[in-house]
Formats: sequence, structure tokens, C-alpha cells
Amino acid sequence: MKQDNLSAEMTSGGFFSDFCRAVTKGDLFVKLSMLWMGAGYARRKQYIKAALMTLFEIAVIVFTVQFAMEYVPKFGGLGSVMPEKTFNIETMKNEFNDYDNSFQILLFSLFSFVVWITAAAVWMYNMVSVYRLQLMEEAGVRIRTFKEDLISFKEEKFHITLLALPVLGVVIFTVVPILLLILVAFTNYDQNHMPPGGLFTWVGFQNFISLFGGGGLTVSFGYAFVRVLGWTLVWAFFATITTYIGGIVLSLLLNSKKTRAPRLWRTLFIATIAVPQFVSLLLVRNFFANGGIVNTICANIGLTDFLRNIGLVSTSYIPFLSAPGWAHVMIILINIWIGVPYQMLIATGVLMNLPTEQLESARVDGANKFQIFQKITMPYMLFVTGPALVTDFVKNINNFNVIYLLTENVYTTTNQVMANSQAKEVDLLVTWLFRLTQDYYNYKMASAIGIIVFIICAVFTLIAFNRMIKGDKEGTYQ
Amino acid sequence: MKFKKIPAAALAVVTAAGLAACGGSSSGADDAVGIRVWGAEDDQALLSELIAGFEAQYPDVDFDIQLGVESESTAKDTILTDVEAAADVFAFASDQIYDLVNAGALADLQNYEEAFERYPGKTLDEIEAANSESSVAAATVNDTFYAFPMAGDNSYFLYYDSSVISEEDAGSWDTILEAAQTAGKKAGMVFSSGWYNAAFFYGAGFMTDLNPDGTTAMDWNGTSPEGYTGVQVVQSMLDIAGHPAFMSIADGDTANQIASGNLCAIVSGSWDAQAAQTAFGDGYAAARLPDFTIDGTSVPMKSAFGYKFIGVNEYSENIGWAVLLAEYLTNEESQIRRFEARQIGPTNLRAVATDEVQANYAIAAVIAQSEYSVIQKAGGKYWDPVQSFGEIIAQGALDRNDPAAIQTSLDALVEGVTAAIE
Repeated sequence: MKQDNLSAEMTSGGFFSDFCRAVTKGDLFVKLSMLWMGAGYARRKQYIKAALMTLFEIAVIVFTVQFAMEYVPKFGGLGSVMPEKTFNIETMKNEFNDYDNSFQILLFSLFSFVVWITAAAVWMYNMVSVYRLQLMEEAGVRIRTFKEDLISFKEEKFHITLLALPVLGVVIFTVVPILLLILVAFTNYDQNHMPPGGLFTWVGFQNFISLFGGGGLTVSFGYAFVRVLGWTLVWAFFATITTYIGGIVLSLLLNSKKTRAPRLWRTLFIATIAVPQFVSLLLVRNFFANGGIVNTICANIGLTDFLRNIGLVSTSYIPFLSAPGWAHVMIILINIWIGVPYQMLIATGVLMNLPTEQLESARVDGANKFQIFQKITMPYMLFVTGPALVTDFVKNINNFNVIYLLTENVYTTTNQVMANSQAKEVDLLVTWLFRLTQDYYNYKMASAIGIIVFIICAVFTLIAFNRMIKGDKEGTYQ
Repeated sequence: MKFKKIPAAALAVVTAAGLAACGGSSSGADDAVGIRVWGAEDDQALLSELIAGFEAQYPDVDFDIQLGVESESTAKDTILTDVEAAADVFAFASDQIYDLVNAGALADLQNYEEAFERYPGKTLDEIEAANSESSVAAATVNDTFYAFPMAGDNSYFLYYDSSVISEEDAGSWDTILEAAQTAGKKAGMVFSSGWYNAAFFYGAGFMTDLNPDGTTAMDWNGTSPEGYTGVQVVQSMLDIAGHPAFMSIADGDTANQIASGNLCAIVSGSWDAQAAQTAFGDGYAAARLPDFTIDGTSVPMKSAFGYKFIGVNEYSENIGWAVLLAEYLTNEESQIRRFEARQIGPTNLRAVATDEVQANYAIAAVIAQSEYSVIQKAGGKYWDPVQSFGEIIAQGALDRNDPAAIQTSLDALVEGVTAAIE
């Protein structure tokens, strides 16, 4: 009972006010904990915890002195010492000076910051914790032993035990790399400033200014960016909508009582999923190449000549995947073939769970099939698959496979301004970004584009989800 | 309460960091000379044979030489991802040398002159003199010799079917296209690639060059020293591209198109020798690139000539031995072995002079072509704009009778190619 009151008192004001209270109202040993993290525990005879906190403090100090101090002081300029070497004929080795590597400085400084922030949080938590021990002692509450504390991690605090590893993984493998990429967008890390041979440094918002057409030398970058962004959005919209509607129509057809052997058809469509995308897409790319089999057939049956006569085609072949317009439409069509089976599976699942009583009553009321589809099936589908639709849209914004596999080495832009920025009309932001890093080592622009893609996806997802979840639509279908 | 999980996470982070910090200082104490070598997949057997030969030459040294697979055409991309983690000795195509030098990844071989003199007893001058002058020039950037020439057959020339096109007709685009049309066949070339289509401009006396800052210099929108304008070259290219018997081929699609049987002539390189031989049968023949016509004058095309090099990583730990190994892998004996095993044309002059090399059909055409060739010097910004420009010509999107539009397009091309690296 007393303990509950105590917890209520302690957790009432939030973490920071708790910390302030601990600093101001704590006794000598609590205050001493600010310097020696084990002090408060030692005073309450929690010797194992005291030792652990002391060890932690030593580890952080050793880390700071031995590791962080080598990199963090150079963080402001990202290094200044270029590599120099002399060849030693006796050892047959080069003797290098202690040169700076901008990328290492950036990475390890960032890592140090993460460690320090964590250490600061632990330090503050430690203060709160030892002050609480003081209060407990003053109130005469029994303080739990270390063993009991440990046991609590598999009892009431089991969620902490479970989450420790995932949190650690997320910090090291997700948070640090993302922060690193964000930082790169504010440097001039590119082909001319590539470690270890060269150094890069901070340039502020210069890359974003160039991206939006503000930079003197990169006028074409802004031009290309707007067009690539436009096609990315158009593509994401059509790729999502076409496969979504196609999937529903297909599953309605398969679910219809008049369809014979629905399982056979379903299996056939799912076979498309079973074949790896890069195999099927590369094959399709070859079918539709300028000298590919489809073009040969079209030429033989006279379709090519017909299109030439009506002025749709100016070349001796049909540029299915090699001219703007043609390629855009073809890519969306091919994507329908690739994407519809997935949507069909989802739609089949949803259709099987349609509330039958609503369908029955609609039928009794004399609604025809289209009305049922329009008023019941479709709204229900949209309600259930809405979030998936949003995810699909975002996925399609970053749909690297389809675009890259279908157009790489096939599509050559004839727009010289686009070519001057290494972009093509059929590029998505991600494929453009891929080429900039892979072929041109333009890491800074790639990072800047990456941030923009992230912002677009985040904003869209937030708005869409908010709209969808807002209002109590759920009740409608219960 | 939610801050409770932080101590555990923090401890683990700090422990990990501590381990990482300590890991750096514990270097291996064994004194074997470790060298990692990257070569093409097809070269692995040959390379391990040559490496064994190298180890046998220095029995006193304990070598630990590891061989890995890395295609010569993608070596640059892999190396520049992390130079310090890349192989010590690697094979690469000559067009990558500028990016590699620019990134400081290639060792300046002059620094290791002492090692050559002490061990194989050669001077760098002797090594340079043993190879063809143009291959050494291609391996030299800003007056610095950066890599050892290994092979010299990376260029394109003309394959033709002599049953359709006579040897005489194969000398000029006009006659080739005429003969092809008569036979109902096509003559093909890759127009949408800065490696192929530059042959017209180089032939007319234009150039590309690499500036010390990594940007590309280009004069195609002006007038060449020979007095031809860029517009005239484009007009000639448009004439060829617009001919009904001409077929523009996508880069990388040449072998398919040869196999389709529609072609009677194609501009390609030694990698298509097999395909051409199969498709043309008894008529199989090869020659240097045909001439093209500017304003009634016949002008020879000049191909972009490429080599294969072996370079040494600037950050190699045992760089002295790495340099010696790279030299060994490209010396006269190794080049002869490479030709015997892989039919790859050598750059070593004494190896070139052997009867076996001289008798090879495709390599003979390359050697004929090498008299009409340039070493293409261009930076990263060169490729996309020139590819795009070639495609515009191939599609006939420019009108030969509208010189102003052609000039505008050329200006845009030069602007893109010569742009600063942003």
C-alpha cells in the first residue's frame, strides 16, 4: 500500500521533473551519484547495482577517451589531414601518416552521440532511481534485493526483457544508418570528395537548393527532379489503382458461381507470383525489345506499318519500352500482369468474409448485382483494404524492381536535359537515386533525394491514414 | 517507467563499442605477405597458374595470395565502394582508370621503382618500353603511370558477310548500305552509346579529354582541326541512320542481332567473333571500320580503343609485393600464356610479334583498327548525354536540313558533358 503511494508520488510529475526533484531534494549520496553513479546504490547497500553502474560509468568514460575523442572533435569540419605515405623498401610496405577519413569521422561521431545520449538518459534515470530508494528508505519500505529485481524482469517487467534486443537492433541497424544518410545530404560527399583519397565537408542546404533548381551548375537537376517526381506519382497512382481494381474484378470472376474450375484459374494466376520477378520481368523486357519477338510479330502481321501510316510510330519498330509515352503505358500494363495476382488473393480473402445477411437483405429488397457491388461489396472492400491500399501506394513510389528491370539498358532518353542529369523519363526517384550512387558516386544528391522520397511517403501515409481512421466508420459494418 | 529498458541497451552498446575499439589494435602477428587479387571469372585458372609462378620466383618469401572473382568491367564500382577494403591487385578495363585515379584508388607506380630494381631487376622505363606505346599512354594519367597493360583488344571494327558485301564495298558506309539494300539485308551499329558513336567525331578530328578536376572537355559543337563542323558530322550520321538498310542496335544486343540472321554487316568487337562466324558462315570476314562521307569527302572512322589493365590499390598493406605481382601478371611470358589460354590480344610488343598472335583472325582486325583509333579520355559525365544524343540521331529526331536545330542539340550535348561534377 505504502509502495503504491510512493510510486504514485514519484511518477506523478514526469521524468524530467522527477530528475530535478532528485537533484534538489536528494541527500548527499543521491547528489554524489551525479559524479559516481554507484554512490546512491552503495549507500542503500545495493552493492551489485552500485558495481554495475560504476562499471557502466567507467565503460562510457573509456569509450569517450579512447574512441569518441578521436573522431568527435573533427566532426565540425569532417577532417583535414590528407593521406601521405613513404615507401619502405625493407618491409616492402607504405608508411602512412595518421590521415583523416571523413566518412569514418561522420559515422563514429554519430555513433558516439548515440552512445552519449543513451548514457545521459541512463545517468538521469539513475538519479531518479536512487532518489526513489532514498524515499523508500525514509518511508521504511523494504527495498528489493538485486535477485528480486532480476526475477522481476521475467515477471511484471517481462516486456522490458522482451523488448531489449529489438530496441538495440533498431537503434544499431535502423536509427544510426538513417541518421547517417540524413547527415550525408548536408555534405559534399561525391566522386570528387571520396574517402580515403579525399575529404568531404558540410555544405548546409546546398544539395537541396541544387535539387530544386537553385544551384548555378545544376539547372538540369531541378528540371529532371520535377519530371521524375511527376512520373513517380503518376506511376504510383496508376500502378496501385489498376492492380487493385484488376484484383477485385478477377476475384469476383473467380468467385462467381458460373465460373468453371475456379481453382485451376486461381492456381494459374498464382503461378505468376511463384516465378521470381527478375526472371519474368527480364523475359518480358526481351519480348518487347526493339528487335524482340513482339516487334517481329507486329512487323509480320503489318501492325508496325499500320501504326507508321497513322503516324503513331516514326521508327521501323514499335518502341514498346524505348520511347516516352509508349514505355510509360507498357510499364503500367506489364505491372498489372505482375501485380494483379497479389491483389486477387487479398480480395478473395475479403470477399469470403462479406456479411452475408447484408447481401441477402439487399437481394430481398430487389437490388441488382451492380447495385450490390456498388453499395455493399466495394465500400466493404475499401474499408477493409484501405490501409493496404495506402501501403501499396507508398510501395509503388519505391517500386524499384519493375521499373529498373524493364527499362535498364533498353530505354535511352532523347531528352538531352534529362540525360545531362543522368535521368530518364521512365525513372522513379529510387531508380534515379540508384544510378546516381551506383554509377556516379553522387552520394550527397542521392541522400537529398532519399530524404525527399521519405518526406513524400511520410506525408502521404499520415494524411491517408488519418482520413481513413477518422470518423467511426467501423460501426457501419458491424 | 519506459526508460527502464535503456540501461540494458546502453550497456550492450557500450560493450559493443568497446569491443570495436579494441578490435583495431589486435593485428595478426604472422608474417606471411598477404595479397588479394581480383580477376575475371574466366581468368581464374590462368591467374592461379601465374600466381604460382610468381611465388616460385621468390622462394624466401612466405606469400599468402588470395584470388577472387571480379569482372574487369565492374571492378571500378566494387573498388570505389570501399577502397580500403578492396583487393590489393585487380584487373580493370582502361576506361575506368580516370575515375579510379580521381578517387585516389590507384598506386602511382613510380614510387616503387626501387622495388623493381631490387627484385626483378627492371626499371619502370623498360617495362613501359616493352608494351605498345598507345597502351602505355592509356595507362598514363596526368603524366603518371598508374597501371600495367595486360591486354589490348577492347575495340570495335566491322564484321561482314563477304558473300553479300565485297571486300572493296566494305570500305565505306555508302557502299555497304547499298549492297545490303540490294540483298534485302541490314547493316547495323550501336548508335546510342558514347563508346561507339564517338567514332564518327574522332574520325572527323574532334576530341574528348579529361581535365585534372575529373570533368570532361569536348569540342564537338565547334569546328575540328580538319575543318569539319560538328553539324556536318551529325548530318552524315543522320544520312546513315536514315538509310532503309541501316539498323540501330541497342548496346548489349549485338550478339542477338547477329544471330537473328537479318544482318550482313555489323560494327562490334572480338567478343562477337563467335556469333559472327556462325551467322556469316563461309562469308565471315572482318575489317577496320568503314569510311563515312562528309560533304562528298570520304573520312575514316576512328574507334575508341580500350585496354585491360592490372592496377594496384593505393592502400594495399604489402604494396611492394603487390606491385611486383601486378607486373609479373602482365609481363611478356604471362601475356603469351594469356593469349594461349584465352585468345586475348597482348600489349607486350614481343608477345604481339609471335606467329600465333599474328595468325588470329579477329585480333588481326583489331590491330588493323588500332591504326585508326584513339584512346577515349572521358569522365563520368560523358556517357549519358552522348548516349542520349546517339539515340536522337538513330531515331532520326533531328532534320539534316535544319543545321540550327542540330547546332542547338550539339550545344546541349557539350554543356551536359562538360558540366562540373556537382
